[in-house]
Amino acid sequence: MTSFAPTRASLWSRYRLVAVALIAAVAFPFIVGLLSGQSPAAVLAGEAGNAKFLQGLAIEVFILALYALSYDLVLGVTGLLSFGHAMFFAVGAYASGIMLKSFGWPFWVTFIGVLVAAVVNALLFGLVLPRVKGIAFALVTLGLSSVFFIVVQSSELAKYTGADVGLQGAPVPEWIDTNVHRFRVYLITLAALTIAYLIYRAIVRAPTGAVLLANRENEERALSLGYNTFWFKLFALVVSSLTAGVAGFLWTVQQPIVTPQVAGLGWTVAALLMILIGGVGTLTGAIVGAAVFRLLEYYLERWFGGTAPVLVGASYIAIVLFLPYGIVGTWRARTVNRRQGLDRLRRLFGIRARRSQ
Amino acid sequence: MALLSLSEVNTFIDQYHILEGVDLAVGEGEIVALLGRNGAGKTTTLKTILGLTPAASGTIEFRGQSLTNRRPYEIAAGGIGYVPEHRAIFRDLTVEENLRIAEREKGDYAKRKDMILSLFPDLARLIELPGTKLSGGQQQMLAVGRALVPDNDLLLIDEPSEGLAPILIQQMMEAIKELSSDTTVLLVEQNFIVASRLASTYVIIEEGKSVHAGAMADLVDDDETIMRFLGAA
Repeated sequence: MTSFAPTRASLWSRYRLVAVALIAAVAFPFIVGLLSGQSPAAVLAGEAGNAKFLQGLAIEVFILALYALSYDLVLGVTGLLSFGHAMFFAVGAYASGIMLKSFGWPFWVTFIGVLVAAVVNALLFGLVLPRVKGIAFALVTLGLSSVFFIVVQSSELAKYTGADVGLQGAPVPEWIDTNVHRFRVYLITLAALTIAYLIYRAIVRAPTGAVLLANRENEERALSLGYNTFWFKLFALVVSSLTAGVAGFLWTVQQPIVTPQVAGLGWTVAALLMILIGGVGTLTGAIVGAAVFRLLEYYLERWFGGTAPVLVGASYIAIVLFLPYGIVGTWRARTVNRRQGLDRLRRLFGIRARRSQ
Repeated sequence: MALLSLSEVNTFIDQYHILEGVDLAVGEGEIVALLGRNGAGKTTTLKTILGLTPAASGTIEFRGQSLTNRRPYEIAAGGIGYVPEHRAIFRDLTVEENLRIAEREKGDYAKRKDMILSLFPDLARLIELPGTKLSGGQQQMLAVGRALVPDNDLLLIDEPSEGLAPILIQQMMEAIKELSSDTTVLLVEQNFIVASRLASTYVIIEEGKSVHAGAMADLVDDDETIMRFLGAA
């Protein structure tokens, strides 16, 4: 019996945070419902109200978090500065819209099609990997994504992409229609984010992750240990593109319109902001950052209207100034100090206890 | 036959001609010291051997096979370990992860862990700490320890004593002496006393050229050469 205890304890300690967050996230719509006088049954049925509305906002946060997570793997963990990351998201969003609407492909075939497109996209970025490094890689990826940004807006492709208006009316099966089955879509996006997070965490903690971190810190040293860093960087790009592609797919599924904005530099900057707010390279920071990013934008807009963008900008500056490692990064850095303080305290009491005996 | 030999090696970094004809030979089991003033090209010589700054011309042979035009990870995998200067560990990884990442074959670390920790006992109690929490000397020990994890025939060690307290220099010298019992070492060392106690042969590099080489025992008494090329006696 007792021999199982350590395993169970370590399992619990490993997934404690994820489990608590998941339970809280699932309970959240019902708590909001109860607070605003809606019964759990009404929340489940997707009746209009506060709970439904906030679930809609949370779905956006989950998708943005998925996207931010994918950027954190490339920039935060592997140390590849890409200014074309929006393309990973936009390829997923546009490919799914075109496959569903113009090609009339079934939902699941479209999903697989998006994954294939995401891999191709990552290989395209991988093509330039061995040739350019650092800021040059950033500029080349910016160039690639700019081409995509221009192409989706071209009038020749208006039939497929909706040109500068955006892609509208992609047919989505009824079972995943966010207007009808809000709680279901909420759970699906939450599940997608959780699975992606757990996979990412496993990657970072595995030997592969150590090489990715080593590459970020000093590629020369990783090379001189005998690692062909190219394959590791390509691996990060492929995993990241798949994740961002799925985020784009989910975006198309639950948004009435996919605007070209999601392919622009602004969308890459959004990813950068989210991981800066949360903490670069921390993974959980990407999720926290996405929540802060979306909620700040929404509530400041609601409370202050036209002056909101200034306030949003000011809050970012404040966050970067006072939390230079981001919310999660700074928390972790202080955890070490807190632990040392606690240890000191314990030792202090340990000595006293011994004296009193 | 020498384990490693360089002949007429020229290396450019961007447009700068850094190595202008380096010849050197490292025999199996030897410790060879690469001497010379700051900026003479000692570090570049090591990086050129590893392919990190590829040679533009000349030949580099390791076990009779040419290393020129090979990628750094291929050269490293061929059995050449590298300890870069400035305590080159991975700060975001723990001590154990730093050692484990150097595995070339599964089980390398498990096989050599005890040997490395007996060479550098300090590392044993720091094993779970991240690299950032280590002192300079501990980082240097970790950097050397890391190069011992895989099965290397040759170690390139760059300035192991740099910035270390005298007592740590002593410990580092003993460690290098011990590891050299089954590995050949090419050592870059500014501290002539350290170099002269460890190495059996030397090569002096001056402005990118190898200008002098021989047995360390002869150099120790040759004050004129020491004065001329190393600026110290």
